[in-house]
Amino acid sequence: MVQYNFKKITVVPTGKDFIDIILSRTQRRTPTQVHKGYAISRLRQFYMRKVKFTQTNFHEKLSTIIEEFPRLGDIHPFYGDLLHVLYNKDHYKLALGQINTARNLIGKIAKDYVKLLKYGDSLYRCKSLKVAALGRMCTVIKRVSPSLAYLEQIRQHMARLPSIDPNTRTILICGYPNVGKSSFINKITRADVDVQPYAFTTKSLFVGHTDYKYLRYQVIDTPGILDRPFEDRNIIEMCSITALAHLRAAVLFFLDISGSCGYTIAQQAALFHSIKSLFMNKPLTIVCNKTDLQPLDGISEEDKKLVMEMKSEAMKTVIGQGGEPTDDNGVLLTMSTLTEDGVIAVKNAACERLLDQRVELKMKSKKLNDCLNRFHVAMPKPRDHKERPPCIPQAVLEAKAKKAEETAEKEKKKLERDIENENGGAGVYSASLKKHYMLANDEWKEDNMPEILDGHNVYDFIDPDILMRLEELEREEGTLQGLEEDDDFEMDGAELTPDEQAALAEIRKKKSLLIQQHRIKKSTAESRPIVPRKFDKDGKFTSERMGRQLSSLGLDPSKAIDRARSKSRGRKRERSVSQVDSMDVDGDNSNKKMRLRSRSASRSSRPPGELVPGEGLRDTAQKKKAIKLAQGSSKNRNKDARKGEADRVIPTLRPKHLFSGKRSKGKTDRR
Amino acid sequence: MATRLQYENNSEIGVFSKLTNAYCLVAIGGSENFYSTFEAELADVIPVVKTSIAGTRIIGRLCAGNKNGLLLPHNTTDQELQHLRNSLPDSVVVQRIDERLSALGNCIACNDHVALTHPDLDRETEEMIADVLGVEVFRQTVAGNILVGSYCALSNRGGLVHPHTSIEDLDELSTLLQVPLVAGTVNRGSEVIAAGLTVNDWTAFCGSDTTATELSVLESVFKLREAQPSAIVDEMRKSLIDTYV
Repeated sequence: MVQYNFKKITVVPTGKDFIDIILSRTQRRTPTQVHKGYAISRLRQFYMRKVKFTQTNFHEKLSTIIEEFPRLGDIHPFYGDLLHVLYNKDHYKLALGQINTARNLIGKIAKDYVKLLKYGDSLYRCKSLKVAALGRMCTVIKRVSPSLAYLEQIRQHMARLPSIDPNTRTILICGYPNVGKSSFINKITRADVDVQPYAFTTKSLFVGHTDYKYLRYQVIDTPGILDRPFEDRNIIEMCSITALAHLRAAVLFFLDISGSCGYTIAQQAALFHSIKSLFMNKPLTIVCNKTDLQPLDGISEEDKKLVMEMKSEAMKTVIGQGGEPTDDNGVLLTMSTLTEDGVIAVKNAACERLLDQRVELKMKSKKLNDCLNRFHVAMPKPRDHKERPPCIPQAVLEAKAKKAEETAEKEKKKLERDIENENGGAGVYSASLKKHYMLANDEWKEDNMPEILDGHNVYDFIDPDILMRLEELEREEGTLQGLEEDDDFEMDGAELTPDEQAALAEIRKKKSLLIQQHRIKKSTAESRPIVPRKFDKDGKFTSERMGRQLSSLGLDPSKAIDRARSKSRGRKRERSVSQVDSMDVDGDNSNKKMRLRSRSASRSSRPPGELVPGEGLRDTAQKKKAIKLAQGSSKNRNKDARKGEADRVIPTLRPKHLFSGKRSKGKTDRR
Repeated sequence: MATRLQYENNSEIGVFSKLTNAYCLVAIGGSENFYSTFEAELADVIPVVKTSIAGTRIIGRLCAGNKNGLLLPHNTTDQELQHLRNSLPDSVVVQRIDERLSALGNCIACNDHVALTHPDLDRETEEMIADVLGVEVFRQTVAGNILVGSYCALSNRGGLVHPHTSIEDLDELSTLLQVPLVAGTVNRGSEVIAAGLTVNDWTAFCGSDTTATELSVLESVFKLREAQPSAIVDEMRKSLIDTYV
C-alpha cells in the first residue's frame, strides 16, 4: 500500500547555498596539487576530473529533487488535486521542469568543456577552461534559484499536511463555516482542533481517529464552504471540495438550525443543493447541530420543508450500493455538541453506514474467497459420548462473581514487581526461585541440594517413590525373615575339630596380617617413590627368595634352585653327572634333548658387543679397526661441537653472485 | 479476559510462557514485569513458576502440558526438573521424555482432553503423551504445517488456528478436538498463533501488537468475558470483512 508521507523529502538548498555546497565538495574531494612541469596529458586529466566531478554532483543533487517531489499524475487524485489547489499545478510543474532543464544544461556544459580541455596546451589554459566550465554551471543554477526557493517552501508546507490515507475508512465533516464541525471532531476524536466563534477558524484539513466496532476510522474536519460559484471559491474552501470529491467516505453535512452561525437554513440548503453532485455514491447524513439553542421541532414550516427536501435528497445518494438506509433513521440526525446530546448517535450512524457500504463492495470482490475461512466458526460434531468439560477453578468463578458485585472495592495485591521496585529495581533485585516451592515442610524450601556426591550425579538416584519402595522392600524382608527363622545358619567354630579350628585361626591371622600390611603400604602410597619392579628388593623374584620361601614352607629348595639356574640364559651347561640327579624333576627327558635345547638357547641371540663382518670388511677384526678409526677421526670435531657429515645442510638457495648486478645475454647462471 | 503484554520488548509471549489450567510457567527475565503480569491475574488460583528449560528462556516452545501433566524435552537439566517438581502441585505429573524432536511445544498442541501431535513423533512419545497428559492423541497437520503446536492455540472451550486453514480442515479438527475453532491471527497478522498467544479456560495472554479485532475474535472463540464464538459470524462479521478483504 502506498503511504502518503511527504515528510521525508530532503531539504532544497537556495541557489547560493547550492553552489557553495557543490564547489566546496569539488575542492575537498578532488586533487588540488598541480605543477606546470607535469606532462600535459596529466594536466589535462587533472582539470577534466574537476569538471566532471562537479557535473556529477550537480546531477545527483538535482536528480534527488526531481525524484523526491511527487509527480502529480502518479499520486492518488485526492493528493494530486489538493496539491494543485494549494500550490498551483502549473507553477509546480514549471519549477520541476526548470530544475530538469538545468540538469541537462549542466551536463552539456561539462561535455563541451571536457572536449575543449583535450586541446588545452598549458597549465594556464587548462585552468582557465575549468574555471569557465564551473562558472557556467554556477550561472545555470543561479538562474533557477527562484524555482529552488519555491520548491523549498512547498516542501515545508507539504511536510505539515495531515497524513490522510485516501483508501481507509473515512468520515468527512462538511458544512457552512461556524456550524460546529470542529467541535464535533474534538468530541469524537483526540484531535485538538482550534474552535473559535468566528467563521473560517479551520483553514485546512484536520485529521483525527476514532474507533467503532473494533475498527479505526479516520475523521476529517474540513474548512467551511460558502455557497458561491466554483470559480470564486478560495483555496481554503477548495480544500474541502477536493476532499469531498476524491475521498470515498461517509459524509456528515452539518446544518446549523439555530442560525447562530450567521446563515439561514435556506442558505445552507442552497449550498447543499449546489454541491449535491459531490455526495454521489457516499453515505450521506444530515446533522442538525445546535439543538440546545433551537430544537428541530421548533423551526418554521418553510425551514422544515427545506430540511425534509434535503433529507429525501440524502436518501437518494447511495442507491443500490449498500450503505443505503433501509428506513429514514440514520439520515437526518440531531445533536448538540455543547450538551453532547446525540453526538455518539451521529458517529455510530455514520460509521455503520460506511461500514455497510464498504462490506457490500468487498463482498463482490474476488479476494473475499481467499478469506472465507476466517469468517467461519467450526462447531464440533459429537463423535462419542464422552464429556469434555472445561476446567475452571472455583476460585476464579468466585472472584468473577465478587468482581461483578463490587467493582469499587479493590485491595491491591503485592506483586513481585513491587517487591523488585522496593529492592533496587530490575538488575539489582534477584528473586528467589524457591520461594513458592510446595514441600511437605516449609523449612526445606531454602535447603541446598547437592548436585554431585561422591562422583555421582545425585539426580540419577532420585526416585519420587523411594519411600514406597523402601516400605515394600521392608515388607519383603519381613516375610523372608519369617521363613528363615527355622533353619538359621551361622558359621562359628562350634562344629569344627580342634585341628581345623587351629588351621582356621591360622588362616584368619594370616589374612588380617596381610590386610594390615597392605593398608600400611597403601596409607603411605602418596609419599612412596615408585620403584620399578627389577630394582625393588622386596618384590624381586630371585632364586634366593624362592629358596627362602620354599624352606619356610618346609621343602628342600636346592633342586628347584638348580633347575631355575639351568634354565637361565648364558650359563654353562651342567655336567651330565649332576644332570642325572635332577632327572627326577623332569622325568623322562633324554640327555640329547637337553643338550639340543641348551645349544639352541645359546644360539638364539648374539652376545652384546659382538661384531658381524660385512659391508666390504673381511672379518670382525677389520671391522673393529674401521669403527675405531672412524670414531677417532670425528672425536676432535665432536669435542668442538663443529659441523659434521651427519648434520643437516641447507645449501645457499639463491647465491648472491648469480642474482645481483646487471647481466647481459647468456649470463644468468655463469659469471 | 485477555491481557496484552510483552516479554522484554518482544510480542511473542507464547514463546516465553506456558499457561494451563493447573499451572503457569514463565521464563526468567531481566525484570519482574512479565512475571508480575501473570502473577496479578493468576497467582491466587494456580502456581506461577519462573523456570528455564534446557538453560533457555524459550520454555513455551520446549514443553507441552495440561492440567494433568507436563512433558519436558530430553535436554532439560536435572535441576530444572527438580525445581519444577518442587514448584508444581503433586497432581501434576512432570515427565522428561526421550524424543528426538525436542521442541515439544511446537510439536504438541493439547487441551485437557485431546492432543494434536506432529506426525513424526515416536510411538513411545505418543504413548507417553496419552499417559502423562491423559489425552486422546491424534497425529495431524494444521493448514499443511506439521508443527501443530506452533500454529494453533487450544483450550477446553475453543481454539484458534492458522489463518490459512480451509473450512473443511477447520470442521475436521473441530470434530477431533470437540471445541469450536476459528482461523485467525495474533500480533497484527502473525500466523504463528501459539507464539503470540497463551490461553487457558478462563484467561488469555497475547502479544502487545495484537489488534482490537484480533483480540475480540479470540475473546469470542475462547469464551472469555461471556462472549460466544457465534459472535464472530454475527456482530463482528462486518468488521472482519472490512479488515481482511
